[in-house]
Amino acid sequence: MFELLGHGLLTVLQWNYLVPLFAGTLIGVVGGALPGVTITMTIIVILPFTYGLDPLQGLAAMTGVYVGGSAGGLVTACLLGIPGTPSAIATTFDGFPMARGGAPGRAIWLGVWSSFFGGLIGGLFLILVTGPLAAIALQFGPWEYFSLFVLAMAMVAGLAESSFIKGLLSTAIGLLITVIGTDPIGSVPRFTFGSEFISGGFPFLPVLIGIFAFAQIMSDIEKPAVPKTPEAVLATQPSLGVSLGVSHFKVIGEILGRPFLLLWSTVVGILIGVLPAIGGSAANMLAYDQAKKFSRHPERFGTGVPEGIIASESSNNANVGGSLVTIMAFGIPGDAVTAVMLGAMTIHGIQSGPLFVSQQPALAYGIYAAYILAHLLMVLILAAGALFMLQITRVRLAVLAPVVLVLCVIGAYALNNTMQSVYVLLIFGVFGYALVKGGFPLAPLILGLILGDQIEINLIRAIMTDDNPLLFFTRPISGALLFCAALSVALAVWQHMRHRARTAREEAPDF
Amino acid sequence: MRLGRDSLAGLIFFAVSLILLVQSFGLPQLPLVPVGPGFYPRIVLIFMAVTSAALVVQDLLARRAEPADVPAPAQPQRAYGLVALSFVIVALYLVLLPLLGYRIATVLFVAALQATLERPTTWQQWAILAAIAIATSAVTYLVFERYLTVLLPRGSWTDW
Repeated sequence: MFELLGHGLLTVLQWNYLVPLFAGTLIGVVGGALPGVTITMTIIVILPFTYGLDPLQGLAAMTGVYVGGSAGGLVTACLLGIPGTPSAIATTFDGFPMARGGAPGRAIWLGVWSSFFGGLIGGLFLILVTGPLAAIALQFGPWEYFSLFVLAMAMVAGLAESSFIKGLLSTAIGLLITVIGTDPIGSVPRFTFGSEFISGGFPFLPVLIGIFAFAQIMSDIEKPAVPKTPEAVLATQPSLGVSLGVSHFKVIGEILGRPFLLLWSTVVGILIGVLPAIGGSAANMLAYDQAKKFSRHPERFGTGVPEGIIASESSNNANVGGSLVTIMAFGIPGDAVTAVMLGAMTIHGIQSGPLFVSQQPALAYGIYAAYILAHLLMVLILAAGALFMLQITRVRLAVLAPVVLVLCVIGAYALNNTMQSVYVLLIFGVFGYALVKGGFPLAPLILGLILGDQIEINLIRAIMTDDNPLLFFTRPISGALLFCAALSVALAVWQHMRHRARTAREEAPDF
Repeated sequence: MRLGRDSLAGLIFFAVSLILLVQSFGLPQLPLVPVGPGFYPRIVLIFMAVTSAALVVQDLLARRAEPADVPAPAQPQRAYGLVALSFVIVALYLVLLPLLGYRIATVLFVAALQATLERPTTWQQWAILAAIAIATSAVTYLVFERYLTVLLPRGSWTDW
């Protein structure tokens, strides 16, 4: 294992891999720092650039974006009080007060080094656990896979903040998109209405890009402009200096002096990452909440304590490691970012799943190496240009939106050099925006879209092997997974009902 | 009672699922596969119909529980007209791409969308807008076509 990792590190250290990795990490940090530009959006933007690269170059660039993006959000979170990405929301709670209190350098570097250590522990988990998990997944038959996918969708639908029913309906829409076109077993056209345009079904990546990128850009366009330039903030915060100088030994000592906090936040991040389609936004909030609960002085959270920054930033980078485990061991994307990575792998003819590590060891260990090196690059990039990131936040939407949309169009067109994919992009862009306006969560839809084909194939394969439907429940792993899925749904229903009852109580007039 | 947004969405998805469900029964059976190509879509469509119906019911119940005279909370102004216009500009870009080719269509698109989102008022701003439009088209063309060997659309009118 370590020999393969060493070989992977040597490979990625060659300039033809190091350049895409560095570029990806830099773009990730910048994208992460830009409020309103998520990591998903950044990876969508970089996607077309990977088409002309070899698989490891492309995946190294994407890994760099993922790692850089997870850390980049902390810059604006600490210095402007605006999280660059949702995965840095909890960082603002203590990072901004600490910076405002006269220690911007300490706030930034606590975040950077926490991201670094959290990410490396997540990487250790990624390297040690992916192989054994893939070996377990190899024992899975179609019943287990079907049940695993059902569990993944049940969990994601249950996490929908707006409404559990909308989460389920969103999942159904995602699944429905995958059944349009030819069926995967007998190639019979389904729901095509005789149209050539949809006879082959909807290609996954244009649908994903359309739904995510358009929904986000159009949502930004509709918002009234609230100028909050660094100058404006600095002007209102006279105590916030521009020097980020700090003793790194002291900051690292502050982090490593809290080993339980670092480890526990990292574990939270990894576990959230392993669970499908939840993502860093949940990880940092949960880790922050846990840190507060375990703290001896919870009342000081929110005033600029280092524990808040350490918990949030170590968890969101560890989350990246967890997400990569799920995609590499099971072929299930942990979130929208890994869904794009999965799509990129498919373009290069690479089948992700339990056989990936054993059949493509050079690529798998290359990804591990890229992940580790991206953390080092992230530290270097932020050391060189944390303040420069603040200047980048001044890029106006009027400039950013057309450029991002052009890259989205290239990403869709270059898939198969036809305009059809670009039209699909626009159709699903409009559809995605409409769903967002209707309050439908997009994560369950995307998961349904990704897993739809695999669910059908495994369901039919199971039935063709043995037509006894009870096997889904009586085979131990499959039964356990379905039980967990039912439990997840029941828990989600209970939580939504409790939330509604609490809201109703709070709204009731106080006589 | 007026339908709410959720009820309307639920009814649309419910209708779509019913129409496709009826269609799924017309799909041919395959001799070697025991369940046929309509089996799985029917499961998905029934699931969709049930959740859509549940959304309608949930919305109707919520609206019935709400007192009628409670004013809706004030929402911040949203530029929906700008969003619609942006979608139209993107659609025009996609129409022009195969006709004018990537390079020309992209310059026009970037310039048009920039001008729509933030209208320049001085000639310097117009010059910056034009420079960004030309640079976006040129840089992406060079990177993708020349360096990454990713082909971009050629124009049937311009052969560019």
